[in-house]
Amino acid sequence: MEGLLLLENALQFVGAFVAFSIALVSYKGVKQTRSSSLLRLSAAFMFLGTGFLLEGFYGFGSLSLIPGFEVSLTTLLIAGLFLETAGYFFLAFSHMLDVVLDKRMGVMLALFPLMAINQSSLAVVLTSLSFYFILYGVVETLFAYSKNRNPNTLLIASGLAVLAAGWWMSLAFTDGLLLNIIQLLLKEVGLVTLFIPVLKFSLSKKGGWNGPV
Amino acid sequence: MAQYRTQTKIIADILATARDLNTAGDGVGITTLLRRGNVSYSRMTKLITDLVGAGLLVELNIEKNSKYKISDKGLSFLQAYGQFEDFAQSFGLRL
Repeated sequence: MEGLLLLENALQFVGAFVAFSIALVSYKGVKQTRSSSLLRLSAAFMFLGTGFLLEGFYGFGSLSLIPGFEVSLTTLLIAGLFLETAGYFFLAFSHMLDVVLDKRMGVMLALFPLMAINQSSLAVVLTSLSFYFILYGVVETLFAYSKNRNPNTLLIASGLAVLAAGWWMSLAFTDGLLLNIIQLLLKEVGLVTLFIPVLKFSLSKKGGWNGPV
Repeated sequence: MAQYRTQTKIIADILATARDLNTAGDGVGITTLLRRGNVSYSRMTKLITDLVGAGLLVELNIEKNSKYKISDKGLSFLQAYGQFEDFAQSFGLRL
């Protein structure tokens, strides 16, 4: 069981790496194009990366791998989850802006109170919110794909869907080693899928302009 | 349904027009930019002033008429725009 916890913590650092990579590419885009969409994307993944990092430290602290870390463990977990939720909110918020501008509000918003008020502990509430925001992101990314027919968009929608499935499993099934392994694998696959656009961007990069508009 | 264009997209459209329609090499007039940019006159003049100020467009005065052509900096912007547009599109977003 301790090996699984160690794997889960390692996954948090993989998540942080992926999130910070996406945030970095988005931030470069903000500098070069001053795009508000990229600014929101950059903020989203910066929050996510920091959240993953804090949760990773929390995990290693709870396994006593980092000495003297026990005192602030709960604070660290809540802060990590809060930042992660904020990240997923910004990710969904980017789509919400498009939706509002198109004068079409997402039906998914109606599910929000159902997801949030059924839970009692703060950690579970934040996890539920994260799951909801990812789900919203999946729906909107799929909607974007129906308009642009870009295979990369479908790939990201699939990645988010797999990530959402992992989150759902972690909410629905708290016990069982096999289920824990499956939800970890789902989250890992989802995160790696999100990294693909960064890889493609890095490979196709021919250099650009660094000044402001 | 008409799609909302962001400020960045409008700038990219103006720069692309200045690049693509400058076939004679003597620049593109504001009427052409207006027609292709699809924004109001007052907004276009403000945008052009900003773009010239930022060095993305070059203003040419030919026979008392102002014409505009894209600068090297503008071409680099369009190249970066193309790359980041694809990146943003992957996440279902528009630049």
